Amino acid sequence: MSQEGKLTLDKRLALVSFTKDPRPFITVETELCKECEKKPCLYICPAGVYTWQDQLNYNTEGCLETGACLVVCHKIGAKAIHWKYPAGGKGVSFRQG
Amino acid sequence: MLLVERGSFPGSKNVFGGRIYTYALKRLLGDAWKDAPVERFIRKEGITFMSNDSAFTLEYEVKDPEQSFSAVRAKFDKWLAEQAEKAGAQVITDSLVDDLIVENGQVKGIIAGEDKIPTDAVIACDGTTTGLARKAGLVKMLEPQQISIGMKDVIEISPATIEERFGVDQGEGAAHVFAGSCTDGLRGGGFLYTNKDSIALGLVVGGDDVSIQAKPSHSLLDRLRAHPKVQRLIKGGKNREYNAHMIPEAGPRMLTRPFTGGMLVAGDAAGHLLNNGYTFRGVDMAMIAGMAAATTILDAKKTKDYSAGNLQSYETRLRKDPALKDMYTFSKVPSYLRNRRLYGVYPEIVCSAAEAVYRVDGTGKKKIYKEMRAQTKGKVSTLTLVRDLLAGARTF
Repeated sequence: MSQEGKLTLDKRLALVSFTKDPRPFITVETELCKECEKKPCLYICPAGVYTWQDQLNYNTEGCLETGACLVVCHKIGAKAIHWKYPAGGKGVSFRQG
Repeated sequence: MLLVERGSFPGSKNVFGGRIYTYALKRLLGDAWKDAPVERFIRKEGITFMSNDSAFTLEYEVKDPEQSFSAVRAKFDKWLAEQAEKAGAQVITDSLVDDLIVENGQVKGIIAGEDKIPTDAVIACDGTTTGLARKAGLVKMLEPQQISIGMKDVIEISPATIEERFGVDQGEGAAHVFAGSCTDGLRGGGFLYTNKDSIALGLVVGGDDVSIQAKPSHSLLDRLRAHPKVQRLIKGGKNREYNAHMIPEAGPRMLTRPFTGGMLVAGDAAGHLLNNGYTFRGVDMAMIAGMAAATTILDAKKTKDYSAGNLQSYETRLRKDPALKDMYTFSKVPSYLRNRRLYGVYPEIVCSAAEAVYRVDGTGKKKIYKEMRAQTKGKVSTLTLVRDLLAGARTF
């Protein structure tokens, strides 16, 4: 069977409405990530905010604001992620939650 | 009474699977619940155990579909906030509560951007991230096994097609859970709810499992979506939105206590959730907890004493409420559900046994009991199986 409407993460995120917060609501001490063995943020984030290419890269523009990265980073990872919600009215706006 | 919402409207930041149990809304609003933006009343409850290429489904048609309904939070929460406004609350949107004003261990107000707003009492409903409860010292950083990550695709499909495909009458719908190959052996499962003209198809996976096993969470939603059974259900659909949510799997034991001087915690932020493997309840729990919080504060208002000592009756109310009691009745479920066999070997056995039972190819058949024994062989020992069954019977 051909796959019905196969979705990549990029296509998924293109369906989501965002208002950019000019202030960085996530910051990562990426130096610490170099020592991080498990790198749990790469796997838990349903929006793929975190990627690894020689070092930890992150793009908050697709952040769905679950906050799960913070939990795993501090308990399994290198305690490198500083996370708070974007400012009021900014960030993701769900229409189908 | 101030309702402070960080999104541009109530519901714009909220995500759930898809279903609300009606009793809570009835308790809150009486007959006025009938104006709620219901998607579909749930007629069919289903569970599917899946292997990569087969599926074993159990389905129950409930007597009274009005007991629960699918909903979309952007519509439902917006409507509910309007009801609060009608009752006299003031709704402030686009406003993030950054911090609390605390004096001598007593919460005296909230800080939202430049604004410092003094309060008699705060009800913190800021979700699983528990920011305010952490600031008030009621919880430290959560553990990965205390949370799950959930995500879902909302897929547009015409109402007539939904009703035909799921075998329901007009205005009725289906709720379905999936266990097995979709999570690739990790703790978690899939879910599906039918809305008016869309299907919410999602997956939940344990925070520790997905991190340690190094599988991207969204790749598991792809696995669910790619399954032949699911493919047939969503065929021809158009993707409308993708959204995600962190779930407080640990339940109410997550916080040392759900109150402090001048503040109560309710909803996800207090672990007001029940996942017993076959029903997922959050919104009804949160609404009942919200009512308990309101009653507690109104009580405290009589003496203007909002100290922790006077607000502790909140916890008693939670424990005594016939609806919320379920969270404590099923308090051992989270640890039972940590058994990986439930997500890997058991669904596989169910599917391969069903295949053996229904397969007729002229090579001769065993009796069902013998076939079942043959299917478990090498996959799980009889002792382990019996132990898991007995533990299950004690837990549920």
